[in-house]
Amino acid sequence: MSLLKVTGLGKRFGGLIAVRDLSFSLDPGEILGLIGPNGSGKSTTMGLVMGVIPPDTGSVRLGGTDMTGWAPHRVAKHGVSLMFQHSRPLRRHSVLENIELALLPDSLWNFVPHPRVARRAREIAERVGLEEFVERWPETLPYAHLRRLELAKAIARDPQVLLIDEPFAGLTMAEMREFSALISSLRDERRAVLLVDHNVKGVRALVDRVLAMHVGSKIAEGTPDQVMSDPTVRSVYLGGSLDGGPETADRGAVAGPPLLQVESLRVHYDRAQALDGVDLEVREGELVSVVGLNGAGKTTLFNAVSGFVAHEGFIRWRGESLDGATPGAVARAGIVQCPESRELFGDMTVAENLEMGGYHLSREDYARQHATVLALFPILAERQRQTARTLSGGEQQMLAIGRALMTRPRLLILDEPSMGLAPLVMEHISTAIEALRAEGVTVLLGEQNVSFALRHSDRVYLLEQGRIAWQGAPGAFAEATGERYL
Amino acid sequence: MTLLLQVLVDGFVIGALYGLGAAGFTIIFGVSGVLNLAHGGVMVVAAMVAWMVAGGILHASLLTGVVCGVAAGMVTAYATYYLVVRPAQRSRRIPDEEREIFILTATLLLGIVIQEGIAYLFTSNPVTVPPLVSGVVHVFGVRTPTNELLIGVISWVVLGLLWLFVNRTRQGKAVLAASINPHGLAMLGFELPQIHRLVWGLYGLLGGVAGVLLATFEGASSGLVGGLTASAFIIVVLGGLGSVPGSLVAAYVIGFMETVTAYLISPAIRTLPGMVLLLLILYVRPQGLLGRR
Amino acid sequence: MKRERLMQWLRSPRLWVAALALVAMVLLPLWVSEYVLGVLTIAYYFGVFAMSWDLLFGYAGEVNFGPTFLIGIGAYVSGMLNIYTSVPMVLCIAAGAVAAVIAGVLLALPALRLRGAYFGLVTLVSVLILQTVIVLFASYTGGEIGFSVPSILSIDSGVNYYYALAFMVVSGMVLLAVARSPMGLILQATGQDPLGAQALGFNVTKHKLAAFCLSALFSGLAGALTIFYLGSVSVNTVVDLAVTVQIIIAAVLGGRRTIVGGALGAIFLIVAAEYLRPIGELSNLVVAAFALIVLLFIPDGFLGLFPRREARS
Repeated sequence: MSLLKVTGLGKRFGGLIAVRDLSFSLDPGEILGLIGPNGSGKSTTMGLVMGVIPPDTGSVRLGGTDMTGWAPHRVAKHGVSLMFQHSRPLRRHSVLENIELALLPDSLWNFVPHPRVARRAREIAERVGLEEFVERWPETLPYAHLRRLELAKAIARDPQVLLIDEPFAGLTMAEMREFSALISSLRDERRAVLLVDHNVKGVRALVDRVLAMHVGSKIAEGTPDQVMSDPTVRSVYLGGSLDGGPETADRGAVAGPPLLQVESLRVHYDRAQALDGVDLEVREGELVSVVGLNGAGKTTLFNAVSGFVAHEGFIRWRGESLDGATPGAVARAGIVQCPESRELFGDMTVAENLEMGGYHLSREDYARQHATVLALFPILAERQRQTARTLSGGEQQMLAIGRALMTRPRLLILDEPSMGLAPLVMEHISTAIEALRAEGVTVLLGEQNVSFALRHSDRVYLLEQGRIAWQGAPGAFAEATGERYL
Repeated sequence: MTLLLQVLVDGFVIGALYGLGAAGFTIIFGVSGVLNLAHGGVMVVAAMVAWMVAGGILHASLLTGVVCGVAAGMVTAYATYYLVVRPAQRSRRIPDEEREIFILTATLLLGIVIQEGIAYLFTSNPVTVPPLVSGVVHVFGVRTPTNELLIGVISWVVLGLLWLFVNRTRQGKAVLAASINPHGLAMLGFELPQIHRLVWGLYGLLGGVAGVLLATFEGASSGLVGGLTASAFIIVVLGGLGSVPGSLVAAYVIGFMETVTAYLISPAIRTLPGMVLLLLILYVRPQGLLGRR
Repeated sequence: MKRERLMQWLRSPRLWVAALALVAMVLLPLWVSEYVLGVLTIAYYFGVFAMSWDLLFGYAGEVNFGPTFLIGIGAYVSGMLNIYTSVPMVLCIAAGAVAAVIAGVLLALPALRLRGAYFGLVTLVSVLILQTVIVLFASYTGGEIGFSVPSILSIDSGVNYYYALAFMVVSGMVLLAVARSPMGLILQATGQDPLGAQALGFNVTKHKLAAFCLSALFSGLAGALTIFYLGSVSVNTVVDLAVTVQIIIAAVLGGRRTIVGGALGAIFLIVAAEYLRPIGELSNLVVAAFALIVLLFIPDGFLGLFPRREARS
């Protein structure tokens, strides 16, 4: 009999169905990978299992006990541990004390520390390779060791089931291998592990089975190889075939002088490495895409260019350094981002959203730009008086692109414009991008949907784990990287 | 019947005044995420300066007094922002997870500094700014000081101007956009510090007008600082943090409840029903009466 | 191992500073005037207010703008029992403490579901409601002015001083023991990362409620003892928001998340107010402004200037 059994799980947030009729089971000593792009519902699923989010439908059972609707601390006590992606240890306590915390019973009469607790905490520290660091404060640890501390806390509860959220985010290759070995050793202790990650690639060597999700539903389940060759999974991750398509004509001739030059760009979040020495160039009139799975660092790259995150390395805009420029100044200099999260002004109308985009233009330029945007997205003209939050997903995406275009950018950064869109709407966006290209607007496109990106690009960069793994013409992508992309 | 009408007229004026005070408080929260517990201080400083200039000390014209009072409200608002809120927001010594309670505590302390400063300079006795107009009018047969009605009207005119500013001017729309999504605005080439400067000025203006009007109506004293902060806090929470229309509705709910209590039971406990209502609502609906969150 | 820890503990300069301070406080009545003893007696009770507050603020991560709700309930319940019944004073004090705990639970049970500012607002409102209720039932409570209680702890200022000192030391030791115990560790986890604490199997509400009860117990006790020391109870001494602000100032000045800092801050505050007496009304302003500066520039307070142990790297 399986240890953890999830049946018909469903959760709705307002109009959004986050998880729909999801069932899976987990045996002792088994590692199941739960994968899916951003917004596919995998985090919600974890929250539902842990009891952080109450489910609308379905049940969660552990070893025959129905835990549906239990508070998280009850679920935890029953044998489920959660290892968070972001560690938040107690800052004024040693590593050892942080592990001891996880060993304490949930009782109010905890006044004298039990000697067994300290001994056990040391054993666990040793088990995860932190024995040298037990007396240190968490903030002095390297990032990879903080992840180990989180794992130590999860193990300390002696759980039957471990939920692990993006275990490898921010780790170097070597650190990933070591951490993989640690997780793998849980199998020998007959613990069941649910590993949540963006893609199969990172977890392939580690998992027994993979369950792939997309917009809240299960789309495939099986061995890593089965899932990776599943046509639905491939279309979700790649968007379709990897041939560039008929539009991939050589447009090298249109490229003007370099606009944006990025050299050995590094970005850290806390101590986690998000970008590790990225070089990239965009020339005037080009459409350059950066493809990569979620978590590869695309959004971080764009935010560094836009001045939102601190970085090391060089970012030059038309030959001049952008160091110290505020996000507003970067945008006014001509680099404007249409982010993945869209960041619309939900309670304002479509017209007002566009007006904010064209705020810094002269009256004549504004009128001209406004006409261009409405010609590109005629639907926005019809929706002028509607508030942004009442638009459909596709219309919101058009508004976000339109609003960014209203600034009359010299370089438009489009981050995941195709994400979560129905095929028909995606065609609309496609057409719009081609129209922009024809007009000679310079575009930097970030996409996880490779097929979509290849169709439109002059040049392609493949970003993996914060590094540029390949660059070249779209037509060469399939041959060069094809099968190892997923 | 007369009593009912009396309550209606008084409630209209009080509600409008409370709405004016709370509107600024809630805008500040929307744009910069700050609950300013020195809010009462802004209002009382404005009232005291208006009184000092127009009434008690300098004997200048009433108009000069009102203008100086409102300006003093703005200065206080800027002082709150640049001397207390921003240092607390930027301090590296304050851990992120504790920043919110640090800002709450710091503005609370600033409120005390203002209260004690006023008490020291002007004693804690209440002062009254001369009414803007004298005389009495009859509204539905209720004898009402003209000044009281004028206060209600001015409050609504100012709120109307605020509405026009936010919905009809470019700068105002930028403020609205900032209160919805500051990140999105920065991506379009706006400098958020400029927006904050504008918003805190606007806040000082609204608080200043409310404070001066209050002083011509019920008088003002240093002791009011805490109570005014508490009532604004209660109103914006009832109305849903960050929502101006919600705050206006809540201001009227509180205004009428206080007036009814004052007339029917005792002026000493006028604030009690509103506070009990707040507790009940927070326990049932933690996001407030009209709040989305 | 144990022996090593003991030796380490004995070598800690903090222990010796604390011991010396304690000896000095015990011997103080030999030198100073009755007036000074009176000031310190109040300061010690105040220290307990601030230490109780720090358990919630520093450890459970809850900003309680209503410590005087708990203190006031303790004071008024014990005072009114004393004046309207013939219950012995000791039982009145105990009843006051119990009443503070019960009132605290009734307030906190629903309020602990709220986060940050909302919790602050509810506790703030609780004080205002208590104040209004006291005024509303002025014929029983004496309204704003309050009333005198028939019983008194002692008429001897030295005895009163030792009562207060002993009470502060015992309360401080209990609160400190709790804060440093495994329970304190859990409390900090629930305060800093509620979700993380739940995922480790801790019932966050239960632990926060326990902290609130403990804080209420000592607040109520201190409130009751204060009025039997002063011989009277009034809104201004145990309920008013100004008292709340003083408590917050004391705890912040001394250093949050230290417990002892609360007592240190309270003594500093009360003694400073005496020194500032010549400047009259301005003294409150100076104290509040000073606290504001400390909050912004040394957010860890006086004790934060001497870290408990060096960051090991």
